[in-house]
Amino acid sequence: MTTLDLTGVMCPLNWVKAKLALEELDPGDELTLLLDPGEPIESVPRSAREDGHEVRVDGTSVTIVKRG
Amino acid sequence: MTLSDADLERYSRQLVLPEWSGAAQARLKAASVIVVGAGALGSPVLAYLAGAGVGRIGIVDDDVVEPSNLPRQPLHFTPDEGKNKAVSALAKLGLMNPDVLVEPYPARLEDFNAEAIFTGADLVLDCSDTFATRYVVNDACCALGVPLVEAGVLGFDGLVMAIRPGESACYRCAFPVEPAEGSVPSCREAGVLGPVAGIVGSIQALEALKLLSDAVPPLLDRIVQIDARTLEQTIVATSRRPDCPACARVPAATQSH
Repeated sequence: MTTLDLTGVMCPLNWVKAKLALEELDPGDELTLLLDPGEPIESVPRSAREDGHEVRVDGTSVTIVKRG
Repeated sequence: MTLSDADLERYSRQLVLPEWSGAAQARLKAASVIVVGAGALGSPVLAYLAGAGVGRIGIVDDDVVEPSNLPRQPLHFTPDEGKNKAVSALAKLGLMNPDVLVEPYPARLEDFNAEAIFTGADLVLDCSDTFATRYVVNDACCALGVPLVEAGVLGFDGLVMAIRPGESACYRCAFPVEPAEGSVPSCREAGVLGPVAGIVGSIQALEALKLLSDAVPPLLDRIVQIDARTLEQTIVATSRRPDCPACARVPAATQSH
């Protein structure tokens, strides 16, 4: 279980960093992101879902399960 | 090859593409390409390859900048008149992306030097303006097993062809008969409007990025033809010739892919 603190990182660089971190994981592994409210928390989970990953949002913390 | 935080920032708009990845970007950064010709096709090609983050770009051109080049060669500026084009391009690309290693070869590409210049390259882009050079580039790439993107512009007509020697049709497979010297007008005689070369060079750069990144399949065994009068695009299927003197004996295993 990896956590990436992306507070203070703007769109779309936050999703770039999350995407590259996901590349290093195996399918089914989880990645937790800490995001800023506003655009980041609205945009990053959507990008992750569009790429086919499972996403759970809890406040400004987002857990992504890497797709198979 | 690892990506720095500055890389992630600079290339963020391509990294966010679902088709792209950190691995694709790292492949660009590790890549070495040779661009033959820094003129009308070479200008957009060089700008987009350097912009996208290709690690090393060698530019082969023995020509100097003339005022008549400037309408269609946006990498060269009026004060560059008389400068070698590879050197003029180097100065602009250094400002555009200082992370790219640009090496000028102020020489004419010929039979005797082509293989030496191409050795070690991951990809060659032919942005030359004569048929003779096109066959020299094709044959050298086939001999070395180096992937190639051919392109040409004549008046309002353009052509692009991506080639993986040993795997897909080469330029000589598609056009086996070399035009006799003087039988086809050269670019200089035929004339060209800048944006036509810009369109064709942009497609050529796109196919190069596909070949280098492995992120999107390139159009192999296809000739892209563009009629800039109507903007109609025709994609013609082609295939390897078993008796092609350039590529028939190239084993697929020699390619860097």
